[in-house]
Amino acid sequence: MIRGWSAPLALVGRSALETAAGFGRYGQFVAAAVRSLPATSIWARPLVIQMARLGVASLPIALFIAAFTGIVLALQASYTFTGAIPLYFVGVLVEKTMILELGPVLTGLALAGRVGANIAAELGTMKVTEQIDALETLAYDPIAYLVVPRVLAGVIMFPAVVAFANAMGIAAGWITAINLLDLSTPEFVRGLRLFFDPYDIEFSLIKATSFGFAVTATGSYFGFHTMGGAEAVGRSTTQAVVVGSMLILVLDAFWAVTLL
Amino acid sequence: MSIELRDVRKAFGDRVILDGVTLEVREGETVVVIGYSGSGKSVLLKTIVGLLPPDSGRVVVDGQDVTRLAREKLFELRRRVGYVFQFAALFDSMTVAENVAMGLRRIEGMTEPEIEARVAEALGLVELEGYGDRYPSQLSGGQRKRVGLARAIATRPKYILYDEPTTGLDPVTTAVIDRLILKMKEELSVTSLVITHNMESAYRVADRIAMLYEGRIRCVATPEAIQRVADPVVRAFIEGRPELMEEAR
Repeated sequence: MIRGWSAPLALVGRSALETAAGFGRYGQFVAAAVRSLPATSIWARPLVIQMARLGVASLPIALFIAAFTGIVLALQASYTFTGAIPLYFVGVLVEKTMILELGPVLTGLALAGRVGANIAAELGTMKVTEQIDALETLAYDPIAYLVVPRVLAGVIMFPAVVAFANAMGIAAGWITAINLLDLSTPEFVRGLRLFFDPYDIEFSLIKATSFGFAVTATGSYFGFHTMGGAEAVGRSTTQAVVVGSMLILVLDAFWAVTLL
Repeated sequence: MSIELRDVRKAFGDRVILDGVTLEVREGETVVVIGYSGSGKSVLLKTIVGLLPPDSGRVVVDGQDVTRLAREKLFELRRRVGYVFQFAALFDSMTVAENVAMGLRRIEGMTEPEIEARVAEALGLVELEGYGDRYPSQLSGGQRKRVGLARAIATRPKYILYDEPTTGLDPVTTAVIDRLILKMKEELSVTSLVITHNMESAYRVADRIAMLYEGRIRCVATPEAIQRVADPVVRAFIEGRPELMEEAR
């Protein structure tokens, strides 16, 4: 009888311990990356490359998502208001929703897939083919050479990509409003300005920065801890995307609670 | 200065890989370590450069105990040690020239023309002139190994560790690599530790041959002497006669 109960309890206990150990390892990994920051001569060169790969190359997908989000937001706002609320409130809704929530979160989730998976797969392959060991033997600190530039590039470029995505979403909402809804440009702009607060942009970019850190650090962590062959690389890539996406949603709630 | 391992132990979980390895590679000497697949030869090599810390024992390279070195000091030591990986471990995203230049970029004061000259020289030594602009994916297995070798020797290290440098290569390329190992020793007085399964190679390049068996060094002898050893475990391996292992049991 006791055995029957103890097995699931042991499983829960083991899972809890493994999760706690995972957080510990993640913390140690981030601490190692922070300790490697002074090695600028190692990470400065790859940083520029990573900024282009993680940031500039991510713009098309971010803008694509933002454009369609802006269109849908404008149409749904007009559908919801149904004459009870003045139509220029479409501008309010598009602006607030894009900047405060959908711009950073949808971009973050898309980049968790694109950037997080890319980093985990690349570093995971480097790990299993001994390229990371090779870096060590050539007197490079692999954390400084591989992780620091990726995380810094994420922290710098995610806010930039999100800023463009926010602008694209609002622009798409405006084009939709003046073409498909009975709304003029001055009315849409009136709505935009009605409850606009510069703090909204600050809030959006703080979120984007934290998402950039979470996605790149998580991708790097799973890539670095890959053990085995191709299957292990695939597993690391999946874990990077899943955990990166979960962290984005947790951080999204955290910032809403603490900053709004 | 030399490489010295004293009573080195290393286990992964319950699996003991190195069970008290003691071995010395004297200055300017080439020692070849032979042993069955999975006997811990690569682990042994990795403990020497601090890629894998031993559970106990001492690993002294160039007068410094690798197990006690701070990270920065360990990187300084690694600049004096070249490491040739079993599967080359070339950086896929870089050209051959960029791969070979990687170690050189960590040497303070080296100008770009000096780096380019040193890369050309290293590629020349492994007979791969004109391959600098290619990517690793455009090379054959043998060529990749030679690039790995060029990368290791480009910094002109005092010590070179070779992890199965000739495995999977054709006899001619094997001879080219063996000649290069000898050339490194004769011209640059490099101290080398070579891991191989290839006994022909071992006899060609070794000053002494050590056999790693069940986590310990079973025997160390010159190429001539090891062929006269009576130990059936050693003879089974060097003569490729598994039936002799029955004698040992």
